Amino acid sequence: MNPYGPVAIYLVVAVAAALLFSVVPGLLARAKPNAHKREAYECGVEPTSPVAGRFPIRFYLIAMLFVVFDVEAASFYPWAVQMHALRVFGLLEMIVFIIVLAIGYAYVWKKGGFVWR
Amino acid sequence: MRAPFTAADWAAIYPVGVLTAAALLVLVADLFSSRREQRYGSVGIALLGVAGAAYLAARQFGHNHDAFFGGFIVGGFAAVFQEIILIAAAGSLILYASIGPPQRVAGTTAIMLWSTCGAMLMAGAANLLMIFLGLELLSLGLYALCAASDRRAAREAALKYLILSSTATGFLLFGAALLFGATGSVRLADFVNPAFAVNPLYWTGAGMFLIGLVFKLSLVPFHTWTPDVFEGAPLPVTAFMSVATKAGTLAVFARFIYAALPATIAQDVLLPVWIVAGVSMIVGNVGMLAQTDLKRLLGYSGIAQVGYIIVALAGSTPLGLRYALYYLAAYAFMNLGAFAVAAAISGEAEEGAHLSSYRGLGRRRPWLAAAMTAFLLALAGLPPTAGFLGKILILATAVSNGYPWLAALLIVGTAISLYAYAKVIRAMYERPEGAEPSDVRPFVPLAWLSAGICAVAVIVMAFYPLTPSNILPLAH
Amino acid sequence: MMTVPIGDYVALAAVMFFIGVIGVIVRRNPLIMLMSIELMFNAGNLLLIAFAREWLQNVGQIFAFLVITVAAAEAAIGLAIIVTTFRPEKYVDVDDIRALKG
Repeated sequence: MNPYGPVAIYLVVAVAAALLFSVVPGLLARAKPNAHKREAYECGVEPTSPVAGRFPIRFYLIAMLFVVFDVEAASFYPWAVQMHALRVFGLLEMIVFIIVLAIGYAYVWKKGGFVWR
Repeated sequence: MRAPFTAADWAAIYPVGVLTAAALLVLVADLFSSRREQRYGSVGIALLGVAGAAYLAARQFGHNHDAFFGGFIVGGFAAVFQEIILIAAAGSLILYASIGPPQRVAGTTAIMLWSTCGAMLMAGAANLLMIFLGLELLSLGLYALCAASDRRAAREAALKYLILSSTATGFLLFGAALLFGATGSVRLADFVNPAFAVNPLYWTGAGMFLIGLVFKLSLVPFHTWTPDVFEGAPLPVTAFMSVATKAGTLAVFARFIYAALPATIAQDVLLPVWIVAGVSMIVGNVGMLAQTDLKRLLGYSGIAQVGYIIVALAGSTPLGLRYALYYLAAYAFMNLGAFAVAAAISGEAEEGAHLSSYRGLGRRRPWLAAAMTAFLLALAGLPPTAGFLGKILILATAVSNGYPWLAALLIVGTAISLYAYAKVIRAMYERPEGAEPSDVRPFVPLAWLSAGICAVAVIVMAFYPLTPSNILPLAH
Repeated sequence: MMTVPIGDYVALAAVMFFIGVIGVIVRRNPLIMLMSIELMFNAGNLLLIAFAREWLQNVGQIFAFLVITVAAAEAAIGLAIIVTTFRPEKYVDVDDIRALKG
């Protein structure tokens, strides 16, 4: 089998699924639009500002903190795989790692990085 | 499997470990301290950490061994570079204590210590992983440090530095991946096999790796970011960046060209680097002529100074490496000293960065002006300073290694630079027309102390040419 | 089953890398420039993993892992700097950076 066979199958399935989900509902559904239906969903209130508004700065801050702590947690996976081989040494290594992360976490917390105003 | 690392492995990273612990301690102490004791508390802990690391690094001098499966090589080479980096860290921390912005002291101090750790890892790094880790630890810290000021220029400098420097890291990483692909190993010592010299992957990889390093060293044509970033970043950060990044990157560069390239092709691969160094000496010194900002001036000066150091490495001889280290140590003192003088006449608005602040300094502050004169003479390479001796040694080694054209470019560049340095010295001692700038600060003891130590070092080093002899081998 | 030849991986990684380089050069939005830089890093990662398989050397995979975590830290710092730089302005465009000459 050609080495690119699986890749080709993957591509075909992906494109087909995307087409299926975007085209078929338009063909099957009966559309009867009116002014109220075309409004952006805002619980009965007239939209007053563009719906795709700007995110507050706080959002970026939390997102950044999430990225850092989330990705650093990925360092646990190799240890988890080799946990039995590394024994106590590996455990101590991870404890040191967690302490370092925890100090960073405490610092962010104390400095008000998690306060949502 | 037992613990995979031995005591010798851990001993290799004691200096870095001490700094890391000191940085964590700074953060923890900050959580439990009041605002007033913050600045001197944080910097005090940091300086103790730097002193401890310097002691531990000095003890490694002369005890060569591999650590972490050849990832880190302990020995004279790493120890000398680490001491230079620690001097830069100590000098910058002192400047930070005297003129840094009062907010975010603990965070900035901790980040500076971690950046120092990155540069120190680069000093001993002998495989591609350690090089990448050290480089990124250094660079990521510096991006944040550049932005650690409320001035708008600082943020812009940080953004510019982030994007351009990360692009360079991308080149370096891709080059490293190609080198791994060509050789099947990440250890620099495994790259010397001449059989690789025919592999195009190897050539491309080495080339891209060197492009990344040349960018970080801010040589022509990748130098344009340096003056902007130097101008925008806070003064203590600029002082740190100008010495520590150059020292760390030069350590990797020197180890790469000495220990990782097969002798048969080394000089062919490196010829473009020598040319780039030669052009940098001219471009950097010409760029200095029009500057009115001290940090910009020293940025352009740094472009040329790295060029001089690389001239010493041309030909890859052991003696050249010793002279390069001597010049780098001298450069650390003269550069840090110049920044210390600027800090001594600055407030938080960094008035000392502007060259007009130096008009008439010779009469207002004779000692500071004398120290500044010594630093500028050293940067220009005139006696009786370490810069003069360093340049003579570099010229001698360039000629004897068969690169007389580099020696000629060095002399031309030096001649151009004299004009720029002399302009500052003349301004300090001539009688100013019109209003004389008034001092913002009466006396900044820490900055004066720092300038004094650097001035003594720049003069004393001229008479004691400490060129460490037992820094080889670079790889086993 | 045949495996994909190593040359194809190198070609794909090279294409990714140059898309990243061109992105950094031509795009003016710093967020997109950061994304282009991440693309360059990931091109390096792809090469590392492909060569790790080619040489049966796990160190390439470890290297790629290291790069992923470092790149995340880099992205976080980059976002932080972009946010602080452009907080007073509405739009994000590097051509608005004018306080420094070069």
